[in-house]
Amino acid sequence: MSELIRTLPPSDKPIIHIKDATKTFGAVKALRNVSLDVHAGEVVVIIGPSGSGKSTLLRCINRLETVNSGEIWVEDVQVNSKNCDINRVREEVGMVFQQFNLFPNLSVMGNLMLAQTVVRKRNRAESEHIARRLLDKVGIPEKADVFPTKLSGGQQQRVAIARALAMNPKIMLFDEPTSALDPEMIKEVLDVMLDLAKEGMTMVVVTHEMGFARAAANKIVFMDHGEKIVETTPADLFDNPQHERLKQFLGKIL
Amino acid sequence: MAQIEPTAPRPFFDPRGVSRNILERRSWFLVFIALDIFVLYGIFTSPILIEAWNFVVVGIGVTLQITIFSFLFSIIIGLIVALGRISKNIIIYNVTTLYVELFRGLPLLVIILIFAFVVTPALIDVIAGTDVLPGIPFLDNLIQQMVGINPAVIETTSLRARDIDPVIRIVFAFAVTYGAFMSEVFRAGIESIGRGQMEASRSLGMSYFEAMRHVILPQAIRNVLPALANNFILLLKDTSLASVVAVPEISHLTRQYASNRFRYPEGLLILSFIYANLTILMSLGVIYLESRLQQDKHDE
Repeated sequence: MSELIRTLPPSDKPIIHIKDATKTFGAVKALRNVSLDVHAGEVVVIIGPSGSGKSTLLRCINRLETVNSGEIWVEDVQVNSKNCDINRVREEVGMVFQQFNLFPNLSVMGNLMLAQTVVRKRNRAESEHIARRLLDKVGIPEKADVFPTKLSGGQQQRVAIARALAMNPKIMLFDEPTSALDPEMIKEVLDVMLDLAKEGMTMVVVTHEMGFARAAANKIVFMDHGEKIVETTPADLFDNPQHERLKQFLGKIL
Repeated sequence: MAQIEPTAPRPFFDPRGVSRNILERRSWFLVFIALDIFVLYGIFTSPILIEAWNFVVVGIGVTLQITIFSFLFSIIIGLIVALGRISKNIIIYNVTTLYVELFRGLPLLVIILIFAFVVTPALIDVIAGTDVLPGIPFLDNLIQQMVGINPAVIETTSLRARDIDPVIRIVFAFAVTYGAFMSEVFRAGIESIGRGQMEASRSLGMSYFEAMRHVILPQAIRNVLPALANNFILLLKDTSLASVVAVPEISHLTRQYASNRFRYPEGLLILSFIYANLTILMSLGVIYLESRLQQDKHDE
């Protein structure tokens, strides 16, 4: 199954390079001079209290938000430059949302095939083949012809992951993928994400699931008030927290 | 601490809560059918009413023709203008907004007169050319072909305002006016779709227009189908205004008949009978459409 997943050869050059990103919403500073490098095959988990700018940072990577200043590079393309063809970047950067955002007017298969045919210009047979194999991968092959509103939250989120994977992205962004789920459905989604991480997918994950962070992350970033406070390994962060605000945050959630 | 509501509030109108008993829900229609049969019997047992009927009924074709063509063109205009109204481009936004506000603000009767007697002749002048205007020969010949002028003389003659049939002028006026109303319907539909749908489409690499076409509009149009159908009925009734520019639709024929023979009650009875039946037929279509949509929502 793993040949479906696009893994990249390790390289010294970061695949995502964020330098001094700053973003304001009116008077609110959502990002303050955040810099972050993600290398191919890495799983980077971003944690922090709500309003700390984690989601904004993630959404700036595929330009759902634009930064006010600073630079964001995905491979060799500067995403925040006006000249970049953002659609070509987004083809290579899959995104999974907190609210799933499946297309309710299409069946599960339709959801998985739409972007393949429209954007990747694959023919029906090929995109259907890929869609079915991805549904197998996320464990719900029997739901192929069901409409999204008939699915549980966990199933919807797994379809959303499969939909993003169907584009063969080089990078996957996860924006609090389990925050809208009932507790008993969180595991099924995290298992799919853990599989992806094991297969070598490059992932940036905003989450409150510390278990996932500990198990899958190569690197963990703690943000607060739009600033990157700590960037370190999970073991270091959880077992030996140094920073005062990080200690407070971990004290509240662990 | 504020008390948290344990259950979701009951919707103001819950179609599932309404009785599905056909007699309770459709009695108005049975009464209408009974009235219909009564009037129909009256018409076909009276030689005078039959005469009126025969005179007026030939206009139904023109009435429906105007309705259907105006509706199709206004949908196209409405869709394009709706996209302009939600555009971030300030020029496009302001131009389309001016159009909508202007044509919503003018009475339809006034617009019809302007289009028939001012806009059409002016356009013909621009296309055919005058002493001071050069004209557009290519368009001139094309339109002459379309309105059925003898191909042998097209090269030598110019288009004249009287070549343009009143029906075409009326469809023009209706399409532009209803386009303004339709654009508001479509805009409401598009804005009813959460922004997450657009974000998800764009994050998969689709362009803005690909996302609109494949994701947003299919959902938006489905949400506004009843409103579109409602506009269709309004449009059908408004075609009676076309009688002011001598289009031979049913209202115009009725006025002709009534004033020739001095039989207003008979003519107006026949006219109302025809309009009522046409619109009720469409209302039934709307009711069917809405029940289908309701069912689909349950299926999902």
